[in-house]
This record gives sequence, C-alpha cells and structure tokens, in this order.
Amino acid sequence: MSAVPGDTAHGPGRLIVAVYGVLALAATARSGVQIIRDLDQAPTAYLLSGVAAVVYLVATVALARGGVRWRPVAWAAIGTELVGVLSVGALSLAAPQLFADATVWSGFGQGYGYVPLVLPVVGLWWLARTRPREGVPDG
Amino acid sequence: MWTPLALAVVGLSLALAAWAGWRAARDRPVILRQLLAGAVIEALIVVEVVVAAVLTANGSPPADVATFWGYLVTALVVLPFAAAWAFAERTRWSSVVLVVAALTTAFLQYRLLQVFAG
Repeated sequence: MSAVPGDTAHGPGRLIVAVYGVLALAATARSGVQIIRDLDQAPTAYLLSGVAAVVYLVATVALARGGVRWRPVAWAAIGTELVGVLSVGALSLAAPQLFADATVWSGFGQGYGYVPLVLPVVGLWWLARTRPREGVPDG
Repeated sequence: MWTPLALAVVGLSLALAAWAGWRAARDRPVILRQLLAGAVIEALIVVEVVVAAVLTANGSPPADVATFWGYLVTALVVLPFAAAWAFAERTRWSSVVLVVAALTTAFLQYRLLQVFAG
C-alpha cells in the first residue's frame, strides 16, 4: 500500500495527519492566547496546555514526514500525549485544585470532544500498522 | 451582518461535508467541482475577515478580540490544506479529509458566532 517503508502520511494516514493538524492548530492558538493574556490567572494550566500544543505540533509534523527518521519522533510525541491525557485527566478529576482553569487534557480531553484521548490510541495503532517489515531495508 | 454571513458558511460547509462524505463512501476522491464549492466558502470567509476588520476599525470589535481572530485565521487555512491534499492524494482518503475540513470549518463558524456575541 505505501511506497516507502514506514510511510505514515498517505492513504488513511492523511486523515490522521489532518485531525492531528486541526487539534495542533486549535491547541496552539488557544494556549497562545491564554499564555500571552492570562498567564497569571492559571499558570500551571496554561503552561501545560502550551506544552501539549507543542507535542501535538511535533506529532503532526512527524506523522506527515514519516519514514525511518521521523517515526521514532512520532512514537515519542504520541506516547507523551497518551501519558499526558491519562495522567492529567485523572489528576484533574482527583485533585481539581491543581488547575485553576481547564487544559487540553482536563477530564480526559472533554473540552475537545475527547479527541485528545482517542487520537493517541489511533496514532499508536497507525504507527504499529505502518511499521516497516523486518529484513526489508529502510528507505 | 455577521450572523447571516456565518450561517451561510455553516450551511455551505455542511453541504460540502455531506457531498464529500457521499463520495468517500463510494470510494471516490475529491473532484474539481468540490474544490470550486470550497473556493466559494473560502471567499465568504475572506468577506468575514473584511467585515471583522471594518467593525474593529469602526470601534465595535467582537467581544473577545484575540480569540475571535484566532478562530478566523484558523478558518482561513483549513480548506486550502484539504484542497492541496485533494491534488496529492487521488484516493477516497482525500474525500475523508475534505469531510473533516468542512466539518471543522462549520464548527469554527459556530464558535465565531459565540465569540462575536461575547
């Protein structure tokens, strides 16, 4: 199906890159406004949203590039997302006083239609599915 | 002025999403006529930018200026990306991406309506 070993950007990958791109754009724009304008109101929450936005940007670029060089970057970024949304999601419910305002990952991504929870699972599945076969030289 | 404009973009975007979804279900890629429809929507968003700029210059800016422009600029770039991919990806997946882009455009207009009123 994919011409280059480890290709993540074509076919169904287009959809995953597209949804990642939209989420990266949304998270970056929103956290940018919050950090520039209201950082003193909820520093932990807004900086965390900023970090999450950067991770989404990295994941989008890594998935769009694909191939052997970018796949480890994609694994790391998407793995970070999954850990982030699970830990921050749990923390936001168990200890809401930690966050003065909602983050991208609060309530397991509730504010973004749970896309932040579903997307890393789909992303990791897609990376596993497009993994280059052993014995085949990497492109 | 703002509400009918935004509602027009929402209606056209949802129609384009349905059209692209129908083609995706039939395993067909995006066609040029769909891109022309997307261009009409894009032109309306450019009109929104002009309207918003004029309102801001006349001293009646949207309620939350930073958030408003963030959504508007995002709305401007979404459909062109999907159009570029429609040329690169000649499979059903370009149609699926167009569905996502058109639904995103509609959702951004919904948020813009909320932010505009404050």
